[in-house]
Amino acid sequence: MKKHSRVGSRLAIGLMFLFLYAPIILLIIFSFNAGDSSAVWKGFSLHWYSRLFQNRLIMESVYTTLLVSLLATAIATVAGTFAAIGLYSLGRRRREALLTVNNIPMMNADIVTGVSLCLFFVAFFQGWGIFARWFNSIQSMVELPERLVLGFGTLLLAHVAFNIPYVILNVAPKLRQMDRNLMDAAQDLGCTWLQAFWKVMLPEIKPGIVSGALIAFTMSIDDFIISYFTAGSASSTLAMAIYGMTKKRVTPEVNAISTLLFLSVLTLLVLSNLKEVRQESRERLGTARKLSALERARQKFAEPRYLWVRRGLAGALVCAFVASVAFLSYATSSRPVVNVCSWGEYIDEDLITQFEEQTGIRVNYQTAESNEALYSLLKSGGADYDVVVPSDYMIGRLIAEDMLEPLDYSQIPNFSLIDDRFKYLTYDPDNRYTVPYTWGTLGIIYNTAMVDEEITSWGALYDDKYAGNVLLINNSRDALGAALMYLGYSVNTTDEEEIRQAYELVADANRRGVFQGRVMDEVFQKMEGGNAAIATYYAGDYLSMVDNQAEGVDLAFVIPEEGSNWFVDAMCMLKDAPHQREAHMWINFIASTEANLANMDYIWYASPNRLALEQYPDYYEELYGEELDQSVYEIMAAPPETLARCEVYLNLPSETLNLYKNLWTQLGVN
Amino acid sequence: MKNKLSWFAVPYVGWMALMVVIPILIMVVYAFTTAEFEGTLENFAEMGSYASVFLRSFRLALVATLVCVLIGYPVSYWMAHEGPGFQRMAMALIMLPMWMNFLLRTYSWMSILENNGLLNQLFRNIGVIDLYNQIAPFFVDLRNAIAAHFGAAQTNFVPIEYFELIGTPGAVVLGMVYNYLPFMILPIYSVILKLDSNLLEAARDLGADSGRVFRKVILPLSLPGVLSGVTMVFVPSVSTFAISRLLGGGTQMMLGDLIEQQFLGGAYDPHLGAAISMVMMVIVVVCMVVMNRFGEGEGEAVIL
Repeated sequence: MKKHSRVGSRLAIGLMFLFLYAPIILLIIFSFNAGDSSAVWKGFSLHWYSRLFQNRLIMESVYTTLLVSLLATAIATVAGTFAAIGLYSLGRRRREALLTVNNIPMMNADIVTGVSLCLFFVAFFQGWGIFARWFNSIQSMVELPERLVLGFGTLLLAHVAFNIPYVILNVAPKLRQMDRNLMDAAQDLGCTWLQAFWKVMLPEIKPGIVSGALIAFTMSIDDFIISYFTAGSASSTLAMAIYGMTKKRVTPEVNAISTLLFLSVLTLLVLSNLKEVRQESRERLGTARKLSALERARQKFAEPRYLWVRRGLAGALVCAFVASVAFLSYATSSRPVVNVCSWGEYIDEDLITQFEEQTGIRVNYQTAESNEALYSLLKSGGADYDVVVPSDYMIGRLIAEDMLEPLDYSQIPNFSLIDDRFKYLTYDPDNRYTVPYTWGTLGIIYNTAMVDEEITSWGALYDDKYAGNVLLINNSRDALGAALMYLGYSVNTTDEEEIRQAYELVADANRRGVFQGRVMDEVFQKMEGGNAAIATYYAGDYLSMVDNQAEGVDLAFVIPEEGSNWFVDAMCMLKDAPHQREAHMWINFIASTEANLANMDYIWYASPNRLALEQYPDYYEELYGEELDQSVYEIMAAPPETLARCEVYLNLPSETLNLYKNLWTQLGVN
Repeated sequence: MKNKLSWFAVPYVGWMALMVVIPILIMVVYAFTTAEFEGTLENFAEMGSYASVFLRSFRLALVATLVCVLIGYPVSYWMAHEGPGFQRMAMALIMLPMWMNFLLRTYSWMSILENNGLLNQLFRNIGVIDLYNQIAPFFVDLRNAIAAHFGAAQTNFVPIEYFELIGTPGAVVLGMVYNYLPFMILPIYSVILKLDSNLLEAARDLGADSGRVFRKVILPLSLPGVLSGVTMVFVPSVSTFAISRLLGGGTQMMLGDLIEQQFLGGAYDPHLGAAISMVMMVIVVVCMVVMNRFGEGEGEAVIL
């Protein structure tokens, strides 16, 4: 071949690697950042690594990811190999037809696979529920579980389902290359079929099996979308945990876990490459080179008389793996649990630890993005929660659709501490289902460094002056509610014309490029970092943003002159919740004055607990040694005259809900 | 050949029916029914109003695929001509990021592209933004002068503090290219590696210059690799929702976002979601079939 200068091509390859690795290197550098930003360097620290190992969500999801990838790879490799062997003994036409079906999961978009599997599992669970009820009613020997939900099992099945095709695809060519008579010859010479398979076929197709397993494992580790739709709420992979975190405040813990993952993969890769390189050089040098002690030991170990040692070691490793999995799953399943679903940045996490220490009940704490997303999660059968914390209007909807279980208030003595203003509210007129968690107001948060006037009206959200710097709140009720208030309508209007006008206001601003994005808890990072000027969000969150605002950012909060919404978020228990006793204990614990004070201090939302609300200024003074600013307290716990300007969201009739849903989908389209 | 080995295929056929075929059938049933499971075509009737999302998704995915080909082809070609040590090293380095989840990789771009992110900080520190603010008014004046000439509207120059990177279609395409580039390089590289060097030599002996050898021999023979790369980049790009959500800020809604919203997002309607998924699936399959048909014809023509 013609020799020519390779400088240019190497430069291009180098540039591509720079592109591939620059983000990863930055990720690694910022894992050692002393500050909590991924963009501003504040000095070296290993702080995030120690935090990482205390972060149960991340550590558990790493465990789930590894476990599901390893198990799915193992199952898919065995099943796929045998399936490939079976397929290759079929006639050509049938084989090709089956291989086409085999290709479907690989060719299909991940989201289609994920969605269809999710629908399938849910349909199956419904069928199973009917069967189990019938089966349990005709006999009493075996009690079948009546309620199945998405979880680790479905996650594993889905991973196996999309991994098998890759294994088949890799094993098939090796089978095609193999001489079919070999197997017959071996059997003619007296081998049993199993021996022939083990001694003849397996060595031939081994490279295909190995590369198939490797690709299956890679796909499992890299997958997010299929897991997202099939894992349900109980188990989450690392990717799902990170996706959840990017919707909130991302801390460099994510960088730390990325660094660790990257380094461990790098080490594995270097080791395997070294082995290959050494093997090659050995082949080149023949036996001339003196073997190192390690290699001599390895060679000795490979001798046939050590066969039983090798087999024993492999067996022991497998047993250890199985035993540790079994032990861990036993350890987690034998302890009483309560599954809680709340919002992001919405609890002092020390409370979870306290509750676990006091009661021995494990709290599986998950978050949803918005009331509407929570509703989707519950409806799609993916949720296995006991306690949820929806807002007023959504509680109304859940009660209307018979999705909540009445509470036993005798198990919740702390309910008596709730201020009377927050009992028997419109969403739960007989107060049978709910214990209030927090309350607060919706308003406009703006960065006075980027906005040089005082904002007093919702109109600022739709103003071209701030184009590209306004954040639209990502839930239909609040986004359209603000527009309705700006237009002077009630937030609870059922008049289609009024709602459409409000939609048009938002959609028009969207078309003009006023909105930088649609956010829920991403708002923290955007506003604190000065990446956006104006947002609609909740009063309590404004106060926690002020606590974390970057240099040069000066946030202000206003309840616009047109009025606003005030809300109550309350704890309720889902229908047929599996852990009802634990759920009551959790609700009672959270309703206590101490927990409410801790929460108020941590999340800055007002407490519905009468004592906590009164005592908070003193609590604050004792804790920080300075007086709580009255204006801060009033933003947190809006005084009656402010509340008088605010309206509560009510549950809407189903036609209006449908309209909201359709308009909300439409909004993204434009 | 028919023997007892074919029994191994039976459980797999059952498994495929259960985990591949039936789920898709259920999706189709959802697509053609209302919330009360009565037959309807309503879900498809609304499809027209989502045309812009379809267009945006296909446009962005197409651009990302094109960029991947433009970067991936030359890189694979050059890589295949390097020594074995270099090749193994390069291959390992290309595969390595895939063992970190793609969300981690996408997340790292978020902190780079933010308005106050690393890239804008860099631009600010080396004076690119000041430079822009000094140069741009000249162009705005120029444009205004021309506009005044034709009586069009005038624009004012507003100095910028940062370049808008995140939340733009460009950021989404960048995320796709970054995540799926290895899927383009791997198949092209393996096809080029397997090219029979005798063919190239024969072509040269028959008087073709290197440009012609590339055009007439190498390119057509590497086309299958390109096609499978295109599939592996285009399909995940067109249906992604995490990348558009993280780097597009929710304003660059793509098909994946639309579908996700109907299942686990803010507008629960699995029937509509299933219908959109189905339409997307059909369009993608048709594209792939047409492309592969076209590719096959090309490949055969050359071999003959």
